[in-house]
Amino acid sequence: MVSDSSTFRIPSVFSQSLSLISLGIAGLIVLPLVYVATTALLADSAVWGRLWTTRVPELFFNTISLAGTVAIGTLLLGVSLAWFLTQYDFGGSRTWEWVIILPLAIPSYVLAYIYSYLLGLGGPLDVTWQWLVGEDSHIFSPFTFAGAALVMTLNTFPFVYVLARSAFLNFNISYEEVARVTGATRLSTFFRVFLPLIRPSLVAGLLLAILYVVSDFGAVSLLRYQTFTYAIYQQMTGRFDYTAASCLSLLLVIFALVFVVGERWFRKTSRFYQTSGAFRRVKPRTCTSLQTGLITLYLLVIVGLAFALPVMLLMQWTMTAIAEGELSFRFLGFIWNSILLSGSTATLALLVGTPLAYLACRKPTRLNMLCLQGAYSGYVLPGPVAALALLVLISQMVPVLYGTTVILVVAYLIHFLPAGLQAMESALHQVNPNVEEAARNLGARAVRTFRVITLPLVKGGFLGAWILVFIQCMKELPATLLLRPVGFDTLAIRVWLEASEELFQLAAPPALLIIIVSIPVVILLTRRTGSLS
Amino acid sequence: MMLPVCAVINKRAVSWTLNFLTIVSFLLVPAFSIADEGLVVYSGRAERLIQPVLDAFEARTGIPVRVLTGSSTALVNRLQFEGERSPADVFISNEVGTLEHAHKLHLLRPVAMKEIDRAIPSAFRAPDNSWIGLSGRIWVVVYNTTLVQPDQVQSILDLADPRWKGKLAIPNAGNEYLQAGVSVIHALNGKQMTEQFLKGIKANAGSFVFGKNRQIVKAVAQGEVALGIVNHYYIFRHLDKHPQAPIAPLLTTDQGSKGMGIVMNASGIGITAHAPHVAAAKRLIQFLVSQAGQKLFADLNKEYPLHPEVAADAVLPDRKSFHVAQVPLTRLGELRDPIMTVIEDIGLR
Repeated sequence: MVSDSSTFRIPSVFSQSLSLISLGIAGLIVLPLVYVATTALLADSAVWGRLWTTRVPELFFNTISLAGTVAIGTLLLGVSLAWFLTQYDFGGSRTWEWVIILPLAIPSYVLAYIYSYLLGLGGPLDVTWQWLVGEDSHIFSPFTFAGAALVMTLNTFPFVYVLARSAFLNFNISYEEVARVTGATRLSTFFRVFLPLIRPSLVAGLLLAILYVVSDFGAVSLLRYQTFTYAIYQQMTGRFDYTAASCLSLLLVIFALVFVVGERWFRKTSRFYQTSGAFRRVKPRTCTSLQTGLITLYLLVIVGLAFALPVMLLMQWTMTAIAEGELSFRFLGFIWNSILLSGSTATLALLVGTPLAYLACRKPTRLNMLCLQGAYSGYVLPGPVAALALLVLISQMVPVLYGTTVILVVAYLIHFLPAGLQAMESALHQVNPNVEEAARNLGARAVRTFRVITLPLVKGGFLGAWILVFIQCMKELPATLLLRPVGFDTLAIRVWLEASEELFQLAAPPALLIIIVSIPVVILLTRRTGSLS
Repeated sequence: MMLPVCAVINKRAVSWTLNFLTIVSFLLVPAFSIADEGLVVYSGRAERLIQPVLDAFEARTGIPVRVLTGSSTALVNRLQFEGERSPADVFISNEVGTLEHAHKLHLLRPVAMKEIDRAIPSAFRAPDNSWIGLSGRIWVVVYNTTLVQPDQVQSILDLADPRWKGKLAIPNAGNEYLQAGVSVIHALNGKQMTEQFLKGIKANAGSFVFGKNRQIVKAVAQGEVALGIVNHYYIFRHLDKHPQAPIAPLLTTDQGSKGMGIVMNASGIGITAHAPHVAAAKRLIQFLVSQAGQKLFADLNKEYPLHPEVAADAVLPDRKSFHVAQVPLTRLGELRDPIMTVIEDIGLR
């Protein structure tokens, strides 16, 4: 069932108070952005001139080409994997469903430092390449465009996979049958019925991946690939004056907002609802043994490169570190700090995100949409810049919070709320407003309708949102580096401190711990999205 | 049908609320229990290089020390933002220009201590001891001994020669040692020569621009490039792990009566302007300028101790075997910002 308008009657007091709340939240999130933008716009024209002639064109080119390549790569990987795992039934397919999502547990900078070792001169992959191709040949260097694109793609494709998978699972087979009965071939059914229906989910996943690339600091800095975020960090740690960093940040924010707005426009022009009454899930086809072999090989290669190989290396390094007595009980403290910060932020993100996402889906007035876009701006405000803006704002306005972990939670929230919002919005969009309207017509109040009807329907999606935020926080680096209280180290900080000295063995235990802590959460994500419908 | 659903929801709502409250209360625990005791050190020197020294100090005096490491420049920025609220007692930097800059921003306080005057030569500290040098390092050419003959490079400025195209590795523009080294070249050779030098090394290095000195040494050792510019101890650190690596520091550059000398910098320490624990901070400095402290601090990183009576690590070339560029270290601080502009105008990464 396709409907072109999702707005319906929400009582004005309820929606107005929600609007007010979301306006407040969006305001808080936009504040650092405003600070950065003001600094940038008040900058001396000489600073702008220097940036335009020396840095900006290169940075634009590098950032766009990396984001574009990673987008294509994640789309191919994510959709193909989701397709195989939802449409086919083969030995081990239930296991693969959650194995394939495990790369999400690996921080980009960990994958980057592992690949700088693997692909580096004399590294295992380089040696293998020489053995295969010849003595004089070298595999591509990790410190190139190809290296950065490979690492980022392997790191982000599960975003697209998760969303594509849940779209495939929620796909009603009746549509396919109708298409087939009316004479469409299997191929044209795929392109004309299947793809359009799952497009909103795909675009959401892609956007997530692109924004991830644009705002990533860890991987590109280790691989020395110049994107906006890395250049901004270099400006900030190398100069006493943040004007140039602010200018670059403003450009980056504008650049990323183009994607967000574009996606929103795209989604507006193609919105679909599926009726729940006649819902029948697509039945997976049973595979021949050849098909099973090929699919398993494909899965093995991808999971091997993105997860198994890196984790095996980390385990090996960790063993060495333990054998050499480098590990101490201090690690328990680091684990606790990481879980504490990430858990608090994720919960806060759900509470704060609900009114924003709800209003944007059900009452997309200009003001409500503006609030939502405002909240999205946090994702593209580079971690270090958001941190510094917060440092100034909080030390001026609420000095009592200065030097506490609260400031870190706020920085995380600003940065990662959008990841959660994206998932929450998608979940809300899948709820047919007619169901809510029915409850309202039967006399339920708005709050009660939301609690009794909407919330249970979006529970899986919201849990997914919690998990996305949690994992991103566990991995966060630049803002933690700048804002952590003295003596408050997280696992990510430990990885970074040791890895930036190329002490692989010492960086391995905390890296492995981040992964271990993230894995159950990641598995939960697949379980929940699996049982969603 | 409706009733059981409601019951489930309510149960769920209750457990949600409980979970939330638990998390919030956990959040507040660390927020308000950050201990206010002991000495707080902001260190631009890597944790691995400073922690053993601080541990020795703690063992000796019983004063607990907490350390926050980061880039020196970022820590100065943090000190400035924090102002009076800063928990930091001392600031340790690997580079004098940063210390002098912090001094000029009034982030450091003068210290009057006889021990300092006796131990550290006056060239290596601020006139009022707002910062005190602790160890010396030279910014030197590292070369691959199988690819380069030492006499092919007479001066660090020769690295700008097109013959080294694609054979040179350099640090990135944010590197504090690069900024300090270029400041010295600027002070002794003028702006034009400096710009020529920067343009030359930028063209020669191509994509071999590294964030870490260690990566430069590695690239030279593996023959990816023939030459690089680094702080001397990275070379010896690499040789420590790979004794057979074909690398050596080039100590013959800019020598002789006409040569400007090899660029030398120092790491150092200063007590912050708003330090809550000045007495403890002074004891740390007292320890660091003592012979035992000097030996420990310098040897950890294979640097030259500044105390004239403390011998350097045996693997290092004799400090008297080369002469260094004579630029007052305070001048480096003054030149920092103009040099950054020059570096950026050239378009170095």
